[in-house]
Amino acid sequence: MHIFIIEDEPLIRRELKILLENALYQVTAPDTFHCVIRQVLDIRPDLVLLDINLPELSGFEICTRLRQQMDIPVIFLTSRSNSMDELSGLLMGGDDYITKPYQAPVLLARIAAVLKRTGNTKSRETTLFTKGNVWLDIAKCCLSHGERSVELTKNEMKILHRLFREPGVFVSRMDLIEYLWENRIFIDDNTLSVHVAKLREKLKSIGVQDFIETRRGMGYRI
Amino acid sequence: MKLTDYIRDRGTLLLLHLVCMCAAAAFFSMTGYSETNTVLILLLWLLVLAAWLITTFLQKRKFFRAAQQILEKVDQRYLLGELLPDSFYLEDRLYRDMILRSNKQCIERIRQMEDEQRAYREYMESWVHEIKAPITGISLLCDNRRNAAVSLPEKGPGKEEDYLSIGLENQKIENYVDMVLYYARSDQLYKDYLIRKTCLEDAVYQVLDKNRLLLIQNRVQIRVDCKETVYTDEKWIAFILNQILLNSVKYRSETPLFRIRADRDENGVTLLCEDNGIGIRQEDLPRIFDKGFTGSNGRDHRRSTGMGLYLCHRLCERLGIKLWAESEYAAGTKLYLRFPVNSYIRDARED
Repeated sequence: MHIFIIEDEPLIRRELKILLENALYQVTAPDTFHCVIRQVLDIRPDLVLLDINLPELSGFEICTRLRQQMDIPVIFLTSRSNSMDELSGLLMGGDDYITKPYQAPVLLARIAAVLKRTGNTKSRETTLFTKGNVWLDIAKCCLSHGERSVELTKNEMKILHRLFREPGVFVSRMDLIEYLWENRIFIDDNTLSVHVAKLREKLKSIGVQDFIETRRGMGYRI
Repeated sequence: MKLTDYIRDRGTLLLLHLVCMCAAAAFFSMTGYSETNTVLILLLWLLVLAAWLITTFLQKRKFFRAAQQILEKVDQRYLLGELLPDSFYLEDRLYRDMILRSNKQCIERIRQMEDEQRAYREYMESWVHEIKAPITGISLLCDNRRNAAVSLPEKGPGKEEDYLSIGLENQKIENYVDMVLYYARSDQLYKDYLIRKTCLEDAVYQVLDKNRLLLIQNRVQIRVDCKETVYTDEKWIAFILNQILLNSVKYRSETPLFRIRADRDENGVTLLCEDNGIGIRQEDLPRIFDKGFTGSNGRDHRRSTGMGLYLCHRLCERLGIKLWAESEYAAGTKLYLRFPVNSYIRDARED
């Protein structure tokens, strides 16, 4: 996935680039804007992040001109939060309109949503994970070991999903809770311990011992 | 204007006439004029005087009644000078000129103030938008550095917490900046809102996402159950909910819980935001929406400006939402937002 950033504030441009690269996107972020439309047409990115207040052209104008030549998803990033601006942003053909200041997770989620909606996502998320002899099936929401399997609640599944994504790596409690919150599960520290304890019992019931390892101050890992 | 008042007002003139009448009567009796004739002359004098008094009284009364009516009908009363009816009397005309001159200056002052206020608000808006760029910069910087510190913990202990704290402080700045913006917007003259079909859940999640780190750090538990849709401005509602949520976090108990629920009945939707925080004292409760009111909670916590709930109340008024609070001290607070169903929309849907 290739994302093209048009943003005139150097710090924000740099940090956006780091953020998106960490999220495994390919990023182009030019620091001059006079031939930016040409560049976009040459590179053909999957998505354009567009600031509205630019030194030479306004973002609205760039969007209109881009749209005349190619069909490409555009997300406006702006500190203007006027309803009229938002409306004209969407009327100009923007796919989303995000006002500054934005939090990184929110921004990533909305980028992912636009990419998904415009149908350019090729890789589908895997629904089957494995570690040792233990299988986690996201689609069926169950955990299996050999012949035996056990159903999981939504919360338990999300916890395991996060752990299965990076086997062998410690995931801190804070990270786990943040991940759950991103998925609309609003639990606190104590509730997390309760869920992990229940998970251990379920694992025991299908004959798996000591699958989730705890280390003080580091978090959990499988 | 009563006749008696008018006659009292003309007291000096009547006294003068009385003195003149006495002098004339004395003069007539000294010159040996017949008494009947003297009485006749004096009676005639009185008659003419009375007739003159009544006509001027009627004229004056007509004039002032007209002025009074104008005052009642016009909403900008400082324009009276322009609207006063013509009058034969010099006094009326002089007063009218004076009113005109004084009001002219008054109008100029009002215009000037309005211009200044508008310029101030415009500057405030553009300033808010400018300050948001560096806030965004800091926010992105903190997020990126925090993630880097998580994946490379050997680089320095405690780095992650530092970036988290900076990020949270930065969010406080962001909220204060937003309060300024919405304060400017709560003005009656400002019409920047877009009433649209809004899913309350989206607005709630937006606010929760924004404050995720703060809520996790304070171990707040959240329960959300609001699937209802209402017709309102999503951004304004998100701002209002944000203030309510931040208050709940600020005045939290040991095991904070924040519950938000929406219920629909035939006349509208009620959104209930409930926490189990330290609550509000009964004597403070009627005043919590007043501007600058901090109450005993605010004084104990020292960080209160008394603006958050005041702004919520003003914005709710603008959006036609009823906002009220119930609270039990040391047990929790409930804030209700009532979205009435617009009868026009309801009719349109039924058609």
